[in-house]
Amino acid sequence: MGAFMSESERRKRRKAWLVAAILSAAIAVVFVVSMNTGVIRLSPIDVLRTLAGGGTERQQLILFDFRLPRIVISLLIGAGLAVSGAVLQALSRNALADPGIIGINSGAGLIVLLFIAYYPAPAATPAYLLPLLAWAGGGAAAALVFLLSYRRHKGLSSNRLILNGVAVNSGFAAVTIVVSLRINPEQYQFVATWMAGSIWGKDWSYVLALLPFIAILLPYVLFKSRTLNVLNLGTPMATGLGAFVSREQVLLLAAAVGLAGSCVAVSGSIGFVGLIAPHLARRLVGQRYQALLPVTALSGALLVMAADTIAKVILQPAEIPTGIIVAAVGAPYFLYLLYRSK
Amino acid sequence: MVKSKLKVPALLLSIAFMSMLLAACGSGNHSNTAAGNDASPPPASTAPAASPAQTKMTDGLGHEVEVPADPQRIIASYLEDYLVSLGVKPVAQWSVANGTQEYLQDSLKDLPTIPYDLPLEAVTSFDPDLLIIGSNSAVEGGKYDQYAKIAPTFVLGDEVNNDWRKALLKIGEVLHKSDEAQKVLDDYEKKAADAKAKLEAAIPGKSVAAVWLVQGKFYVVSDKLSSGAVLYKDLGLKAPEVVKEISASGAGNWNAISLEKLADLDADYLILVNSDKDSGSAALNDALWKSVPAVKNGNVYEYPKSSSWLYYGPVASSQMVDNLLKDIVK
Repeated sequence: MGAFMSESERRKRRKAWLVAAILSAAIAVVFVVSMNTGVIRLSPIDVLRTLAGGGTERQQLILFDFRLPRIVISLLIGAGLAVSGAVLQALSRNALADPGIIGINSGAGLIVLLFIAYYPAPAATPAYLLPLLAWAGGGAAAALVFLLSYRRHKGLSSNRLILNGVAVNSGFAAVTIVVSLRINPEQYQFVATWMAGSIWGKDWSYVLALLPFIAILLPYVLFKSRTLNVLNLGTPMATGLGAFVSREQVLLLAAAVGLAGSCVAVSGSIGFVGLIAPHLARRLVGQRYQALLPVTALSGALLVMAADTIAKVILQPAEIPTGIIVAAVGAPYFLYLLYRSK
Repeated sequence: MVKSKLKVPALLLSIAFMSMLLAACGSGNHSNTAAGNDASPPPASTAPAASPAQTKMTDGLGHEVEVPADPQRIIASYLEDYLVSLGVKPVAQWSVANGTQEYLQDSLKDLPTIPYDLPLEAVTSFDPDLLIIGSNSAVEGGKYDQYAKIAPTFVLGDEVNNDWRKALLKIGEVLHKSDEAQKVLDDYEKKAADAKAKLEAAIPGKSVAAVWLVQGKFYVVSDKLSSGAVLYKDLGLKAPEVVKEISASGAGNWNAISLEKLADLDADYLILVNSDKDSGSAALNDALWKSVPAVKNGNVYEYPKSSSWLYYGPVASSQMVDNLLKDIVK
């Protein structure tokens, strides 16, 4: 295939590499800025010294236990949610699809709410319990949407996927409202900030919990880039490929759910990344998933990390949920994109 | 353990990034970041001084907590009521975007605030030597371990936190002030019993309801929780049927009540907590509100949102009793 690459194809590839390099550099810069940002002032010199193993106990605590895990988590969930969105957009052949649409956020949110409201906590709950439940809730909602959209001989219908997603989401949202009316204010506060996408798992243990999902599913999806290209092309070609397609669809859907579910479980309900990052990437490098996916992952990571950095400083010492910043930055940009593309 | 494992890759990664930043500095446009921070002294290295004596206590969630013998820098966000009643001053007080617990400001004035969700770095910046936290959900998601790295962290747990008498005694225990806590409680019970007798004499057999107006909507206090517990349990006032009915179906401290239901409110006296004062409290001009029996008879006692009626705790309850003694008994 490489031998037959045309000149324009080659130019496109060069451009994709360039875009990826620029995004990586931007990520590096924001990473450094974020390490230097927080309520407690650490000068860049302090940060360097602490990284090199020096620094006071307090500086180490702030950098290694508070700031770094949070930055790394925001990178991972940004990449995970963005790629999940790109996959879902290809599967549903709908540019408006994102992890939220197949019920992951609302499913996870409902489970978190039920847990906070009804789990009798006589002792400390293990840190893994809540993300695990959130993951299961998101997965269950996605499975429900999937089952409703799947037809034995026709495979996955993209229109059904979207419509069922909307229906399941509103159902879950309704139950969520009913339950949240019955809990006390402190519990409600927790659930509300969770749903607004405060990256609440800010510990290395959450990085470790998230890493396997990202490390396995991200390469898997990248490996399937060509399949995604085919699926994205639409029905005639896809039906021509028959059963093969529906199997690939199911596997890729599962990967997208696994990615988004694990991210939402750790971060809370951050919307919009999965919608906007693929759009941004598409504008930069075009439709080809081989280039689109890595650039999507990088822009998602950059978006969430930058949003989280802003969330830390804008109302110091209070923090706003990162999801709100993502939405505040993302919404106008998205409108601009729509306006430009007519 | 996790930390040490990740330190090395994190270190390498960060050095790579840092060198890039330094290279950028060389070209001249970033120099202000470094210069600006050099001027301020680096944060003081406050390795917590080893306390002479510590007590091991088990908190409401089963953590073993090494409570310092004489904690000096306490953060007990949203539990300030108890500290005030025990004469203890925390280093920071609870706050939300639009304020603090105003009814405590006689004692907490000028005390710096900390956001209600206790961000890790904000907590660290106060160098606390003891953290007391009320509800389970405040430490959900591995947050306990992170707080515990800042200072010994004692979580009351929902069961204790929801009952101010239990919470008071527990906090007394943690602060080695059990006797004081018991005295605060005894004083309150005595005060409430006195007030109960006076109210019985002043308004025998009359019923009272507390209504909260916020953003044009009315809420009525539960017959068992929050200020409802003071009214109906401590002071033995009669709860109107409507209040009982609504409390049975709602779970909150304050439950929403529709205007139609409000018109049925068969209370002889109304306590109105008005959070809409600044925005004109238009709801109070509604014909339905004006047709509520107690309103018609002029038996409404209005308190601002800065009063203690929306809170619970020894100080809050005591102030409620004072309000009633002043306005109803006279």
